[in-house]
Amino acid sequence: MVKQKSAKLTIGVLDVIVLTSVVALVGFIAYRVNFVLIYKWDWSVIPTYLFRWDEKTASLVPNLLIKGMIATIRVAIWAMLVSSILGVILGIARTSDRLLPRLVSWAYVEFIRNIPPVPFLFLFYFFISSQIMPILGIDEFVYSASPQKLAVAEFMFGPANLMTNFLSGMISLSMMSAAYIAEIVRSGIQVIPKGQREAGQTIGLSPFAIMRYIILPQAIQRVVPPLAGQFITLIKDSSLIALISVQELSFLAMEIAISEQRFFEVWIFTGFMYFTVCYSCAKAFGWLERRMGAHRY
Amino acid sequence: MPAIDVAQSANSGKKLNRRKVRWWKSRTFDFLQFIALIAFVVWITWRSAAAMDYRWQWYRLPKYFYRIIDGELIWGPLINGMFVTLEIAAWGMVLTLIIGLITAILRLSDSFAGQVLARTYLETIRNTPLLVQVSIFYFVLQPILGINNPLWTGILALAFFEGSFASEIIRAGINSVPRGQWEASSTVGLSKAKTYIYVILPQAVPLMLPPLTGILVNLVKHSAILSFVAVFELTTEARNLIGDTFMSFEIWFTIGAMYLVVTITLSTLVGVLERRIGRGR
Amino acid sequence: MSDGTGKQAMIQLRGVNKMFGDFQALYDINLDVYQGERVVICGPSGSGKSTLIRCINRLEEHETGEIIVDGIRLDDDTRKIAEIRAEIGMVFQLFNLFPHLSVLDNCTLGPMKARGISRTEAQKLAMRYLEKVRIPEQAGKYPSQLSGGQQQRVAIARSLCMSPKIMLFDEPTSALDPEMIKEVLDVMIELAETGMTMICVTHEMGFAKTVADKMIFMDEGRIVEEATPAEFFTNPKNDRTKLFLSQILLH
Repeated sequence: MVKQKSAKLTIGVLDVIVLTSVVALVGFIAYRVNFVLIYKWDWSVIPTYLFRWDEKTASLVPNLLIKGMIATIRVAIWAMLVSSILGVILGIARTSDRLLPRLVSWAYVEFIRNIPPVPFLFLFYFFISSQIMPILGIDEFVYSASPQKLAVAEFMFGPANLMTNFLSGMISLSMMSAAYIAEIVRSGIQVIPKGQREAGQTIGLSPFAIMRYIILPQAIQRVVPPLAGQFITLIKDSSLIALISVQELSFLAMEIAISEQRFFEVWIFTGFMYFTVCYSCAKAFGWLERRMGAHRY
Repeated sequence: MPAIDVAQSANSGKKLNRRKVRWWKSRTFDFLQFIALIAFVVWITWRSAAAMDYRWQWYRLPKYFYRIIDGELIWGPLINGMFVTLEIAAWGMVLTLIIGLITAILRLSDSFAGQVLARTYLETIRNTPLLVQVSIFYFVLQPILGINNPLWTGILALAFFEGSFASEIIRAGINSVPRGQWEASSTVGLSKAKTYIYVILPQAVPLMLPPLTGILVNLVKHSAILSFVAVFELTTEARNLIGDTFMSFEIWFTIGAMYLVVTITLSTLVGVLERRIGRGR
Repeated sequence: MSDGTGKQAMIQLRGVNKMFGDFQALYDINLDVYQGERVVICGPSGSGKSTLIRCINRLEEHETGEIIVDGIRLDDDTRKIAEIRAEIGMVFQLFNLFPHLSVLDNCTLGPMKARGISRTEAQKLAMRYLEKVRIPEQAGKYPSQLSGGQQQRVAIARSLCMSPKIMLFDEPTSALDPEMIKEVLDVMIELAETGMTMICVTHEMGFAKTVADKMIFMDEGRIVEEATPAEFFTNPKNDRTKLFLSQILLH
């Protein structure tokens, strides 16, 4: 429900309490920083890690923080792709008439929803790096690939020496995200009234045609906005794979903070970077949704 | 379809033979297939661990749960870690409710400053990763505010994170009570506060309970992230043990199962609550 | 199968029973509907009227007994069911138009995707039937832009586009505002005049008197009375029919 924009936004008791508390907290922080910790802020480390002057090409090139942000978005896009495919399959399975697909999908979703992400990530990383990656031959590929091939692979998956970490991180993020997408898809399908399917049956459409021309077009309309939200969630959750040494934004922030011994500046600025990206994505998706909504039935 | 008199229909109607469902289409068969599938996944995991010459050493595990020294029971690191995790979740829940309630009140109020503060808080939490929030609490706010206990820093960070969800649950619960209830209350002369106490909250609180319990599940899950900042909860204990013993699979599987026991118990409770409340309506 | 006059029974129900879990919705239903016959089914809510007609195009599966439509016996064979459904049009209480498709696309979807007719052919067909239900000018609009009465007429046109041999109406006017009921009933009366085989579940007794060849009264899952309209309205035999008629005619 939308709070009414009433004209009576006046200064009341609550405003006074809120303002006093905020001022008190800011004052306390300022006092602690300036007089107890006697901290000297030095924000000058930030710009050098955003861009650096490259002598060879004589131009500004992105440095670690920007590269980290790019790596973060890259992981999020991959995970979005993989988890959408898996999630749509699981979501449709969840609405099946047969018990087996429903059970499998249910078990998967409940498992993921109840297991904490961090242990899952570690378990998956150990398992994947020792099991799946040798089968896929990732390491061999990295050693034997031509420079061009390697360049393409690095563009898509990040540094070659960390490709195993990247892939296991990306896949475990996808597996977690898929459970949530499955729920989004399931509810998108289930809110469509039963009568829609029946109407399709009475004009002689096959079950496939009913799914293709009646159910899915209506479900997609409902599913797109929460899916956009899921992408933002993935940008945020991708910070977890810093724990298995994938060099995305959080990991690099950690390294810079330690090497420069500038924890305050680096962490606050990193938070600001995530905020900027996620907030602008949210605004952009909201704007797109309203524009699409204008053409809606 | 409203039920007709069942007793009468049972007498007058002849007993029907249900059409036979072919066995491969039956629910039992589907269920058996499902069990077989689970067994297959377990088997594959086992086999692949065996294939890489992994030496399973489950027998070494019990002493990390508990030991009996001189007839005295001493909890091992895994159980201690679980206690810390539960402690984080319990205190986290208390703080989450307080933060959520304050935010919801500010959001529902007419106060401009209150609205701005609540919105700023919510947008900040929503648009940054939990890991970064925890880092800022640990590396920035802990020294500034002079908290000298990483456990409490962690609990505070988690509570601020979950508090954003709690505030939305509380706000949605209150907003879900129809406007007519407010109007009806004012016609019988109730003040705003009395309307909240006697009319709105009795209807809204039952709706809020299941999702708020869901937050407890999330607190257990998300507390694992505190292993990143040296809080000695279950995941940290597990990582330290793996460092000491190299039994990575046994320990990850074990703590995975331990988390699942706790979260599934709580999730089931949510389900029970939802059904209870659903029936009461 | 045929009766004494040699007319072919379009729909035959023999000893049909239908369960919903432990609840028996239909008891031993026997019914013949002939080519061009117009049957009106009435009865209190929950009496099994809707279930009965939903069994005829197998939106519900009956447990025992036999349903034969146009010489085809309804059973688990899905190919036959698709065949039968294409011959039976159905109009629902809540219209069930496809909200994401325009009125025209609602009408062309069946002919194009189930019959494989080309788009231009299907559109011509659709426009013809939209004219019949008197809303050709709404073809480009979406269902949500139409009134209830208009939506129900589109639903009728959508069914007619499949050139059905039989039309089923499941309380087509009970979700409509009073002032819109007439426009839908008028279309249904016109349809009856073309000689279409129709089964209507409705409480519109005026409509029933005008078009019905046969009246059926159902209660608690059974056919309680089956009669010509003249007999049904003037001289009902069953007490429950009398009670029902006295209640409904008061409105």
